[in-house]
Amino acid sequence: MPIRLLPPNLVNQIAAGEVVERPASVVKELIENAIDAGATRIDVVLNDGGKSLIAVTDNGSGMSSRDLEMAVERHATSKLPEDHLDDVGFLGFRGEALPSIGSVARLGITSRTADAESAWHMMVAGGEKKGPVPAPHPRGTRVEVRDLFFATPARLKFLKTSQTELAYAADAVERHAMAHPGISFTLSADGKSRLNLSAGLLQGDLFDAHLERLSAILGKEFGANAVPVAAERDGFKLYGYVGLPTLNRANAMAQYLFVNGRPVKDRLLHGAVRAAYQDFLAPNRHPYVAIFLDVPRREVDVNVHPAKAEVRFRDAGLVRGLIIGAIRHALAEAGHRASTTVAGAALGALRPGGGGASRPLFAPRAAQAFGAAVAMQAPLEGVAEEAALFQAEPSAAPSAPELPAADFPLGVARAQVHETYVVAQTADGIVIVDQHAAHERILYERMKDAMGGEGVKRQILLIPEVVELGEAPAERLLARAGELADLGLVVEAFGSGTVAVREVPALIGDGDVAGLVRDLADELAAWDETLSLKDRLGDICGTLACHTSIRAGRRLNPAEMNALLRQMESTPHAGQCNHGRPTYVELKLSDIERLFGRK
Amino acid sequence: MKLVIERAALLKSLGHVQSVVERRNTIPILSNVRIDAAKGKLSLHATDMDIEIAETTVADVGKAGATTAPAHTFYEIVRKLPEGSQVEISSSGDGGQVTLSAARSRFNLACLPVDDFPAMAGGELTHSFSFGAADLRALIDRTKFAISTEETRYYLNGIYLHAAKSDGGAVIRAVATDGHRLARVEAPLPQGAAGMPGVIVPRKTVAELRRLIEEADGDISISLSDAKIKFAFDNLVLTSKLIDGTFPDYERVIPAGNDKVMEADRKAMFDAVDRVSAISTEKSRSIKMACDKGTVTLSASSPEAGSAIEEIEASYGAGQLEIGFNSRYLLDILQQIEGDAARFSMSDAASPTIIRDVADASAVYVLMPMRV
Repeated sequence: MPIRLLPPNLVNQIAAGEVVERPASVVKELIENAIDAGATRIDVVLNDGGKSLIAVTDNGSGMSSRDLEMAVERHATSKLPEDHLDDVGFLGFRGEALPSIGSVARLGITSRTADAESAWHMMVAGGEKKGPVPAPHPRGTRVEVRDLFFATPARLKFLKTSQTELAYAADAVERHAMAHPGISFTLSADGKSRLNLSAGLLQGDLFDAHLERLSAILGKEFGANAVPVAAERDGFKLYGYVGLPTLNRANAMAQYLFVNGRPVKDRLLHGAVRAAYQDFLAPNRHPYVAIFLDVPRREVDVNVHPAKAEVRFRDAGLVRGLIIGAIRHALAEAGHRASTTVAGAALGALRPGGGGASRPLFAPRAAQAFGAAVAMQAPLEGVAEEAALFQAEPSAAPSAPELPAADFPLGVARAQVHETYVVAQTADGIVIVDQHAAHERILYERMKDAMGGEGVKRQILLIPEVVELGEAPAERLLARAGELADLGLVVEAFGSGTVAVREVPALIGDGDVAGLVRDLADELAAWDETLSLKDRLGDICGTLACHTSIRAGRRLNPAEMNALLRQMESTPHAGQCNHGRPTYVELKLSDIERLFGRK
Repeated sequence: MKLVIERAALLKSLGHVQSVVERRNTIPILSNVRIDAAKGKLSLHATDMDIEIAETTVADVGKAGATTAPAHTFYEIVRKLPEGSQVEISSSGDGGQVTLSAARSRFNLACLPVDDFPAMAGGELTHSFSFGAADLRALIDRTKFAISTEETRYYLNGIYLHAAKSDGGAVIRAVATDGHRLARVEAPLPQGAAGMPGVIVPRKTVAELRRLIEEADGDISISLSDAKIKFAFDNLVLTSKLIDGTFPDYERVIPAGNDKVMEADRKAMFDAVDRVSAISTEKSRSIKMACDKGTVTLSASSPEAGSAIEEIEASYGAGQLEIGFNSRYLLDILQQIEGDAARFSMSDAASPTIIRDVADASAVYVLMPMRV
């Protein structure tokens, strides 16, 4: 067979294979076009999860009949005025979306510019163009995509259920809605409204509008527990919101990164977020994050992925540093806020008829069963009574030196209950502190401080540990040798694909060094971060802190309790333990009054 | 099976074998001890599949036979029987139960069939020699502290025993290291050990052996191949598998050119290190050793607890040198030295330091410094 050029329609279908993967990708492309057209309102309609109909209507600039004809041609776009790929100012630029969609579906476009007398309509079905013909439509563009993949039945078979496809499409709408709080978005599916986001009140602070939009999508909890991040370096501007560590979830789904208004999925973000939250969350819990990055256009390459889901930074290290630094800073400032979900949950449990109502029903039965099974050893009667007396007395309110509660954020200790929790009175509420978790965190922070101050002590190895990694991982590891040395791990090149460990952090002792090095190499590949060494050191400090801190069950006198509260106030990140659980809960007086129906 | 034995003899014998039995087992028979009675002798076997200990004692055997019984329970019972009592052990005809009676106590223990009891696979032991119990104790005691506990470097989880040449004489050497420090102790090569393969004796075997030879005073006869080692003495036989691995070329890490030599009184040094390190609250317990003309200054500091400093006399003539160590490692080594003086041969703060007993050339300790 001689080599020949493929017919244009086949070329379009091949391009569609990359660009149009599923209804959600069509939604994404059309929304991006609408945003690029300067729309302030975008309505999306889906039927059967987008399989039978996707319609996106905007009120943007619209197209003339000539533009309309050009728009469905391959590699035709208005978005690269300078013919330079390193200066992309629009979301789209490849000129592939519409012809690709037109090659695999029935595409209808109706559009009208502000000064045109009427709108024009154009049809493309399986690559065959019809039109343009005059049609009625207000200013803006309406794109209808019917019978997606009718021309490529193989692709059609790979689609999931309508429900699943709808969820993907909704995700695409939400991501763009998060990035553009100034645009109203609606999404309706099969005649039912699914999403209705009105444009943010732009006269207010941009941050406010943003947070409002984010909490509309990520949930009210995020709105209540987010802290703003903001940082700027070398023309890179970072802003957005991150959740408090106590607001966490089991997967990393709620982490969003936007680069120049473009939602991207990037491993760089996940690595940086993990590094930033490292001290505050257990390794299997993940925070909520929505970060927006404004980057000089020439510093970022968006032309690396057909659907532009990935981008490449000229200086990835700078971006990583910026993200980690900004999040850490924001969390440090919010170090004392535990998420309101904690107090909310506590209140819910207390309120009669609330979430906690099921407990009293259960409790007696559970207690009986427990009693029957375990109460084999009866207490010696006299002694038990005496013990009860002994206990009752000190746990009553201690006659503390009366300090004014208003002076301290965490108030003045009033009592210790069950020898585990300290109850303190603040100016406008009460604080319940988990004494063990709080003290553990204080010691942990102090240890980390000490380590930072005098450096990690390193044990030099008598017999260097030689670890075979393979060429690329070894190179990645050696590139970060300086950073690892600061953490106490000295590695050197040792022949091809092999590294020799010369010195290890003395804290690790006789541990599995080869395993640690392999973990580090894997992490560098996955996230470009050296987390496991920090994790390991953190773990050891955490264990030490746990063993040396006061335990539950230790009786504290009023002076000790107050000292604990004062130390918590002066320790950064004292609001949560090393695993993202809160160390204290604050109940406002108004909350308590609500409990009693006074308000 | 039926036999009568004095409690003390039974307890001693059981005590020797039962410690090899793991507390938790997935294979039930491994929790049991094998009891054989024949020709006026009672022999007990216990194993964890890697180590097997067998001991034979004299007993009044009424009827020969064999069975197995739960080792720890058996031991606990015998331990609690009144002193001086005669213990009668008999098993039922079908072998399902063993009965223990002494004075007015009577215990029935469930048994497992004796045929299920694992026997350590045979294999020729190629080399045999006998070695003084005291010498063996000395080899073990001065090296076992340096055995690694890190499982990934399994070949360091034991003592490397091999024949070597030292100053022209043939010696048997024991070496142990955990990658941070190393101990090398030697003794004259016993008759018959020439040409023996280098073997790595696992940590658990070392511990069991050391316990068993505590009171032994004769010679221990040792037989070994490259897969197994057997120690026999008195009425006891301990057989163990060896670690199948290659011990690193340890000679390479013992430096030859360390010319900065310091000698100090062992006891004074030990006490000073012990005292100064009390200040060091961190896990690594680092300590600094500064050598100058005629003195050694030990110091430690911790951001929380404060600082400590102690000076001791020493003979030192080379230039000033400051070097950091893990104080626990230093104490471990100083504890092994029996003579009055310890000799430190150093090069710089990042190279291995050699520590020796001034009065005894048979042991060499190598310690890697810490960067502090």
